[in-house]
Amino acid sequence: MFLRIIQDIALMSSVGVVLAFVMVIAQRWLSNYGELTININSKKDLTVTGGSSLLSSLGEKQIFIPSACGGRGSCGACKCKVNEGGGPLLPTEKPYLSKSEIESNVRLACQVKVKSDIKIEIPDSIFNIRRFHSEIVEIIDYTYDIKGITFKLLNGETIDFKAGQYVQLETQPYAKVKQSVMRAYSISSKPEINDSIQLIIRLVPEGICTTWVHNHLKQGDKVNFTGPYGDFYLRDTDADILFVAGGSGKAPIKSMLEHLKVVGTQRKMSYFFGARTTKDLYLTEEMQSYEKHFQDFHYIPVLSHPEADDNWEGRTGFVMPYFKEAIRDPKNTEAYLCGSPGMIAGVTKSLVEDYGLSADKIYYDSFG
Amino acid sequence: MKKTPIDKRITARMQAGTLTLSGFLGKDKRDFHQIIADDEMALEKLGKTAEEIADRLEYFQTQSYDSFQGAATIDKIYEVETEVVRGFLPCPFAHKGIYRKSFTTVTNTLTGRSFTFSALNIHLIRDHHFFEGKGSHFRLEPHEIVAELF
Repeated sequence: MFLRIIQDIALMSSVGVVLAFVMVIAQRWLSNYGELTININSKKDLTVTGGSSLLSSLGEKQIFIPSACGGRGSCGACKCKVNEGGGPLLPTEKPYLSKSEIESNVRLACQVKVKSDIKIEIPDSIFNIRRFHSEIVEIIDYTYDIKGITFKLLNGETIDFKAGQYVQLETQPYAKVKQSVMRAYSISSKPEINDSIQLIIRLVPEGICTTWVHNHLKQGDKVNFTGPYGDFYLRDTDADILFVAGGSGKAPIKSMLEHLKVVGTQRKMSYFFGARTTKDLYLTEEMQSYEKHFQDFHYIPVLSHPEADDNWEGRTGFVMPYFKEAIRDPKNTEAYLCGSPGMIAGVTKSLVEDYGLSADKIYYDSFG
Repeated sequence: MKKTPIDKRITARMQAGTLTLSGFLGKDKRDFHQIIADDEMALEKLGKTAEEIADRLEYFQTQSYDSFQGAATIDKIYEVETEVVRGFLPCPFAHKGIYRKSFTTVTNTLTGRSFTFSALNIHLIRDHHFFEGKGSHFRLEPHEIVAELF
């Protein structure tokens, strides 16, 4: 009886081992897709080893589609059109795609596996996106919760970007954070300096990246980022300009002003910066210095909740009522906004409905 | 109780440093099923449902959403401020969808008590009856919410 039990156990174990072996062999054979082609915009063919996600396959070829979660399918940022070979839309993608996006073949690159030749469409600007290695050379405390950090590019690299664009910073594991995450931040330095960039980063409650930046990064640390991304940039026209920003939304506007200082401009410009108290104001002298440099520029900070000991004599409340000081011809005015979705929505509504600006001349970088 | 693979995956996503810096469980030794069960029991005693709590929080969040430059006064006694920062958070339960990183602070001006919650909190309470573990950064105590915000 005992011998019989031992024999049965041995038999079952042997069957298990054989099945496991067969499965390993089958998986290797079945998941070997060989070399496949990713055709981009009907112009360029990339040869990749099949089996990986579209996002990582492109990344290996130095083509970086924006992704905030690093390909874990939780941010919905890595959208691109997959016109052929992407397989069926997955349940993991649907929550991130609108009906019209689904109808026009938009997919999440991190969820699409490259298992056959594939045809995709991506904006040409993505070809300019690269991964950069850098070293932190300066950290400035702008306010109690906002820092300016300068990243010097290593290995003689240079970056080509437009004032207003952003990069994605890659965190490194720290404390209890075991995985790397990527987070987007606008470049605050001018594009004419191409061997370094400055980012302005505000500490976010429970933020994995901002806590890393504020509490762990120090001068000399090595940091990687990808970029440049985004279509928020200064349009090359003669129209008057209205800049509106709050908090760390000052970053892309600072980049635009520094750029305009280099190239020169005759455009009439007004910059409204919304903050809560004087503690939230920063770079005020630098912004005011542009009033002397440009022919027609006004920097207008507006505090919503000035404290008694602030001794604030400037404008208070919402920024919108003060636009009337700045808009002389709504048909010939462009607005550049950077801030929270609520701020963007409120300011846009006011500019269009109260001041008659054309909605298609309002450009914004929403934190959303 | 033996944990299923799904339970293990959810628990892993709730740990500090995975989706958020401090995670969703705080210093709570209970598993998330027990946290939910205990809070459901507390809600029953309070005569409220998780959906009612979520609706109330969402009411404050929505009312204050446009007031991007400062606090809004709601129902005469609540000072409410919503701050939105860049980015989104996924649900630790692997619920399909992402939630804006918005933080709403409601202050009951009669008592001076304040509560801060995120858009994800509202979803966690409504769809999972999950108020987070004790000691978690965004833990909301059902009895305090009912006492102060209703």
